[in-house]
This record gives sequence, C-alpha cells and structure tokens, in this order.
Amino acid sequence: MRIGMPHMGNLYIPFKALFQRLNIDFVIPPVNNQHTLSLGVRYSPEGMCIPFKLTMGNLIEAAELGADTLLMPAGSGICRLGYYAKTQEHILHDLGYAAEIVCLGVSSQRKLFGLLKMIKRLSNNAPWAKIISAFRFGLAKLNAMDRIERVVQKVRPVEQVKGTANRLFAQAIKAIDQADDYGTLKRVQRDCLDQLNQATSNGNTQPLIVGITGEFYVLLEPFSNLDVEKELGKLGVEVRRTTFISEWTKFSLFLNPLGMNEKDRIHKAALPYLKRDIGGDGWESVGEKVLHAKEYDGLIHLAPFTCMPEIVAQNIMPSTKEDIPVLTILCDEQLGKPGMLTRLEAFVDLLKHRRRAKVKT
Amino acid sequence: MIKVGIPRALLYYQYYPMWKTFFEELGAEVVVSPPTTQAILSSGSSRVVAETCLPVKVFCGHVLALAGECDYLFIPAIRSVKSNIYNCSKFLGLPDMTKAVTPESPPILDTDIDINKGKRELYQAIYKLGRRFTWNPLKVRRAAIAAWQAHLKYMQLMSDQGLNPPQAIERISNTTEVEPKTPPDNPTPPQATIALIGHPYLLYDEHINHRLIHRLEKAHYKVLTPEMLTTEELESATVRLVGGAYWTYEEEVVGAGGRYLESGADGVIGLMAFGCGPDSLMMDIVYRRAARLGTTPFMRLTLEEHTAEAGVVTRLEAFLDMIQRRKRRQAEVCV
Repeated sequence: MRIGMPHMGNLYIPFKALFQRLNIDFVIPPVNNQHTLSLGVRYSPEGMCIPFKLTMGNLIEAAELGADTLLMPAGSGICRLGYYAKTQEHILHDLGYAAEIVCLGVSSQRKLFGLLKMIKRLSNNAPWAKIISAFRFGLAKLNAMDRIERVVQKVRPVEQVKGTANRLFAQAIKAIDQADDYGTLKRVQRDCLDQLNQATSNGNTQPLIVGITGEFYVLLEPFSNLDVEKELGKLGVEVRRTTFISEWTKFSLFLNPLGMNEKDRIHKAALPYLKRDIGGDGWESVGEKVLHAKEYDGLIHLAPFTCMPEIVAQNIMPSTKEDIPVLTILCDEQLGKPGMLTRLEAFVDLLKHRRRAKVKT
Repeated sequence: MIKVGIPRALLYYQYYPMWKTFFEELGAEVVVSPPTTQAILSSGSSRVVAETCLPVKVFCGHVLALAGECDYLFIPAIRSVKSNIYNCSKFLGLPDMTKAVTPESPPILDTDIDINKGKRELYQAIYKLGRRFTWNPLKVRRAAIAAWQAHLKYMQLMSDQGLNPPQAIERISNTTEVEPKTPPDNPTPPQATIALIGHPYLLYDEHINHRLIHRLEKAHYKVLTPEMLTTEELESATVRLVGGAYWTYEEEVVGAGGRYLESGADGVIGLMAFGCGPDSLMMDIVYRRAARLGTTPFMRLTLEEHTAEAGVVTRLEAFLDMIQRRKRRQAEVCV
C-alpha cells in the first residue's frame, strides 16, 4: 500500500513525519505548479472551484507515482468539499487509475478518534503507543511551522534587507522537514526566530495592517492565491490571518469536543448580518470583517471563483455598519499576477490615504 | 389583513401550495410576484455581486418587485429536509443575503428549517412563524397540517397526472375543479420524447430558459420532467448513481437524469445555471453516466444572464436533429 495526498501549504511535512515514524510508504506529489493546475483543470468539471482542480491535479500526480490509497477530506454539511472525494474517485477511475480514496472526516463529531483510527488502519495495525507518539511529533512540526510563519508575517514589512524573512522561512521549513527529534525541532525554531528578530529594522515604523480572510484552502495554499501574503509584505504591509492549520487542529481535534470553540466570538460578531452557518467559511468571513474593523486598516477577502458560501459572504459584507475597506480576490486558474498586483497596489494606496486622513483629524 | 409576499423564484415551484395554505389558514393574504421579466432580472442582478448565480439574481428581482406590495416577505432558510443531507449555501443564507442587498424589502420571515435538529426544533420553528399571525397554538397546528396536506396533494397531482409545477399550481388555485386536461388531439404523434432535468426554478421560469418547454412542445416533442417521476423512482436512481444523496435537491438532477438515461426518453437535456455549486458536480455525474452508458444522448445547457435566445435555439435544434437521425437509423436497422 502506498499513500498519497493532495497539497495544502506545507501540510505534507507533518504527514510525512507521521507516516515515516509508522513505516508507511508515503509519496509526495510535486508541490503545486502550473502542470498540476493544467492537469486538474483538464480533468475537472468546468464549474468547479480551484481547490477541487488543484487537489485533482495532486491526486493524478500521486497516482502517477504509484499511490494506490489517496487521502481526501470529506464530510457532510460543508459546501462542495464533502462531495470532492466521490467525484475525484470517479474521475481517477475514468482515467484508468485504480486508486482508492480514503476520506478524512472533517465534519464528523469525533474527529480525533476517527483520524487516529484511520491511521491505525493505514499503518497495518501498529500499536496505539506508536501511533500516538508519531501523531504528536507530526503536530509538533505543524505547530513549529505555524509559529514561525506568524512571526514572518510581522517581519516581512519591516525587515532591513528585503527578502530576508522569506528566505529564513524557506530555510526553516526545510530544516523542520528534516528534523527527526524534538530537540532538533526546538533548536531550528529558536534559531529561526532569533534570526528573524535580528532582521527586523529598529526604526519605529508602523506598517499598515491588512487582515486576510476567506476560504480555508485558498488562504493556506500560496500557489492558489499567487503568494498574496508575500506580495503584501513587499508592499510594506503586515498581514494578519487567524486561519492556521495548527489552530484548526488545536480546536477541531482537541478543544471542540470539550465544548470550546474559537469561532464563537467571530460568529457572534457576524450575527446581526448573518444569523446562521452557511457552510464553508462564509460565516467567519463576515464575522472577521465586523470583529476587526477597528483593528485593521483593510481586509483582503480571498475566495475561490464559484465558491458558494463566500459569494453569500461577499454579498453581505458591504452592508455591515463596521466600515473597513475590503478587497475581494477571486482565485481560479485565470487569476494573473500582474492583474492581482495592480489591484493590491491600488488597495494599499487607498489604505495609506485613509490612514493619513485619520492622522490629520 | 396582513399581506405575506412570496417571490416567484427558487423554492416557489416546490412549496408554493404549502406556504399559501399555511398563511391563508392563519388569516393572511398571500401575494406572489409576477412572472420573471427582463426588468425583474436586471433589477435583481444590479444588487448582487456578479458571481452570484442566475436564480439568486432572479430571486432578488422578485423581492424588489414585492417591495411595497406586502407587509412581510416569506424567505425561509431551508437547511435540510432530510437527515444529514444539506442544502446549498445560497439557500442557507438567503434571508440574510436578501436583507443585505435589498434594504427596502419588507421585514423578512426567516424560518430555519433543519430536520437534523429534530422534530421538536422543526415544530418550534413553525410555531414561531405562526405566532406572528395568531396567539393560538392550535390554530398554527391546524394551519401546518392543512399546509402539509396541500403539499402532498400537490406532489400527487404532479406525479399522477404528469403535470408540471406551474400547471399544478394553476389547477390548485382555480377554485372550480376543472376537468383533467386531456392532451389536445395532436394529429401527429410526438416525434420523440425529451427529458428535461434540473431544478424547477430553471425548468419553469420561461424567461430565463427562453421558453424551452414551449419550444419542444411546439415542435411536437413529448417533454418529461423530474416531477413526473415518483419519489421512490428518483431515490433509487440516485442511489444507483452516487450511493446516496449529498444535497437536498439532488434527486431532481442526479435521480431524474439517471432514470431517464436508462429508460423512457430519446434524449436528455440538463439545464443548469452558470456558477451553480451543486450542479457543477451533479450534472457532471449525469454526464459521466451518459458517456458510460452510451445509449441516450445528453446535452448540458448552462444558463446565465447573457445566454442569448439564438444560442439556445441553435443548440436545441442541433440536438433534436441528432435525435431524429438516430431514430431514423434505428428504424432502418429494425426493418
């Protein structure tokens, strides 16, 4: 049995660590690139969103590398995502790959136990102690990466030498991927954070703060949003994002079953404008605008083209009392870098004007 | 008398008789917006972002048409009507979205319908809705039961007599019981049978589909629609194709498509709206099924605001020509 799974940001690193420790044969398809996208676009239904098309491309490439068991998230009550696995399996079979898709339940009640049970099945009944220790190590890598990324977002606009933060981040990701015990992992994390601190200029600059919200996948997969965070960093903007995979795992796997929900605050903020969950991340998008209107200078709303929940959110957002400029960027295979950059520059200019006007008054 | 407005769009075609009975039993007057026109569509699409799907744009137009004509608008948020099967986000957020994009609309009655939360929640939702009209819980109960009866009668009328929703609604609305309509004696028998699959709000909105049914009937084709199949037929076909539904209104696409591809039709036309989330997957499943079976021709027609009449007509003619040719060739082989 050889396992493959689609990409989403650096998610492959914790999974690789997990599977390596359990001696499971795991192939990583090439990171998202133009070829992946073309493959996905060619074999996906035309009206599908970019997450479907890119994961489709990943799955084909994984099957090409000999993967016969593919992992895909699925579940009910969560936009089209719940249907992806079924359709993608059809498409793979039509293409002549005999791969089986195993669904990772992301909406079921007992996520943690379901996930662990699935890993047990994949690992040919490894002992629980081994599974849990491997799982913990995977999580540690995930947390380390996200901790560094948060700092990188802050350093990008204020670094002394342009590009340092991105370079350090890439180095850290590589080192984390190679680390094979907790000690190394800790050292890598500490070193990287130190270097990032040193790279920061000491001047008292106050960069513009732009929140970034929207659909989970396009937020977390830089290839699908054309590296919008890096581009904003180049424009001297500090990016704030609440969506991180480590946050998701922390709450969905461990705290939600205990009755804690990090999203309650966001949902409450959205209530006057959107009273109910509409699947996907639509409710959160509206809530983040309301919640952070005072804190941020602007908000970038990322959504895949034809995404159902985000269209509803996009329609509701302009009507909120809390006033903050929002730039919606729809991601699909037609999104071009120059077009996006022009829009980002115009948006950042607008935010600068607003801030200047605010300072004057 | 309190006037309750119901937009003639989206779920109107599925539930109008039920809703009408409910509100009338509670002593309210029901106002329906006029059939879709270009003006309604334009006014609706001027309010929402461009990516919004055609049916929702039409819906907003109907809401605007009702503004000032009624005291309340009835826009339920139908989350699920079967356990563990959920609806498209646009239906879930419909009341909130309408409120956001059409501030001039009358107050919205936004009942949450979610069968997954259990019967108690459902009854409470209905009672809360009824409370706007009467203090008497028994009266609400009576109205709800009458509404459910009306719905069952409506469904039966369609599957028994082969009526489509607009015809059935007309039949129900006419207080004088008209004779069951015998099809006009066509001197020529139908050339072939064409099944139309898709959501009722696309199939029966003559403005947005450019009078597709009318065109087919005028050219002497017998038209079949999803409502003419029984619930069991639809469900069993859905199970055969996808092993259980995922979306609330999946049967009318996947179920009907699967069934008509197997038997009963010479050709199947799938109508979908551009940018429709559920249909982008469901029509694809029907399309893959058609390709695998290779017995019944299948055509997808995607509708949006810019769909030109001439384009629809050309594709329709080409499809029908192909079906004619196939029929002729089959007849020759048989001889």
